[in-house]
Amino acid sequence: MMSATTITIEEFLEAAKEFVKKSEKVCDGWALKLDKTDIFKTYIKKDTFIECPDTTALYKIEYVIFYNLSYGVPSFSFNVWNSSGMLITLDDIRRMSFLQINQKDFYSVITQQEHPIFQRPYFIVHPCHTETLLAAFRSSSKNIIVTFLGLITPLIKLKLPLEFGYQ
Amino acid sequence: MANDREVLREIWDGKLPICFQLAQEEIMEIQQPDAFYVMVPRLSYFPLVTDKMKRHFLRYISQENSDSEMWLDYNGQPLKWHYPIGFLYDLLCGNDPQLPWHLTVHFTKFPEDVLLHCNNKDVVEAHFMSTVKEADVLKHRGQVMSTMQKKDHNQLWLGLQNDKFDQFWAINRRLMESHGDNEGFKHIPIKLYSDDGTCSQRLVSPKNNDGSRKTLQQMVAELYPDKHDVQLRTHGVIIPSDTPLQWLSEHMSYPDNFLHLCVF
Repeated sequence: MMSATTITIEEFLEAAKEFVKKSEKVCDGWALKLDKTDIFKTYIKKDTFIECPDTTALYKIEYVIFYNLSYGVPSFSFNVWNSSGMLITLDDIRRMSFLQINQKDFYSVITQQEHPIFQRPYFIVHPCHTETLLAAFRSSSKNIIVTFLGLITPLIKLKLPLEFGYQ
Repeated sequence: MANDREVLREIWDGKLPICFQLAQEEIMEIQQPDAFYVMVPRLSYFPLVTDKMKRHFLRYISQENSDSEMWLDYNGQPLKWHYPIGFLYDLLCGNDPQLPWHLTVHFTKFPEDVLLHCNNKDVVEAHFMSTVKEADVLKHRGQVMSTMQKKDHNQLWLGLQNDKFDQFWAINRRLMESHGDNEGFKHIPIKLYSDDGTCSQRLVSPKNNDGSRKTLQQMVAELYPDKHDVQLRTHGVIIPSDTPLQWLSEHMSYPDNFLHLCVF
């Protein structure tokens, strides 16, 4: 069902494939996980490690972008584990300044939820404003996922290589 | 509109008898604690109905664990508190009913890779309200929730939390209205669960392409073209396959405004 503000699963998949291609070119680590039996369970993900500058403790971070069926927009989710494999809580994440999450919006925008694809707890950025924001940029967007990540980065510092902006 | 008030009332009044027992390895007293029996509303959530039970068991566990997060399991399977109680029972015991429902209570080893954290009832409220909002996006592009006032949102939540049918439905009826000249919602908020717990969500229209009312049977044929004899259960009953989806959504949705159906 086409509408002016939402995107279809086909548009999402198209953008995801293109995005992953660009990522491979600059070795940014995003990978596409296609689910052939259930197209709605297709997603792209990136695993990365971050060292906390103060304690030199190492954390593993997993970013997942998937299609939110109800809102018809991409959704951003992530989890962080410490070096003993324990999941980091929302309060801990908020204190991790190296992730640079905007403090003001934090609790209203990021909540722990059951991930619709993995059915395990993930931190998910709430999609309710994504639709209006994406709509504003949609006509000028070359790739809806790059545009979408542009909306997320003020919230969570993802180092996105500039090359993603080029055709 | 949700007009069949007796059906709404009957579903609201659905209760389950539950027998809680403290996990053996957590008992720190010589005297064994008695099991804790209670009737709970099927439509509620465990964190809303377990305060008394928690107090009952607290004096039998090690003091150092008394502040840690309580969680429940059925047959070794952790129970996801963010699903309505009646739905959890239908999913896990639907094929093999046992009453009272025997659940085990834990205060240690929180299975953080399975369960969402729930430190207080505000977390339940936030989860509930965001699910109602999502359902409204499917039904009316989110217009009903966004035009409601904060006090209406509160009334919806308090109605559920305090088990007040009239208080809840005074607001919820607005979420069950069809808009425009449309006889029906844009999409039906529906989640289908297999018995292994996997959930699939689809955009489901309450109408067929020719404009006629879509029945449960017709939806099943669309979603599971290869399967025969698919049956769906909710609120402890198997739904007749000729039930129109629009009626089902208005009357058999959980308070979070979603139909949670178990496929078997």
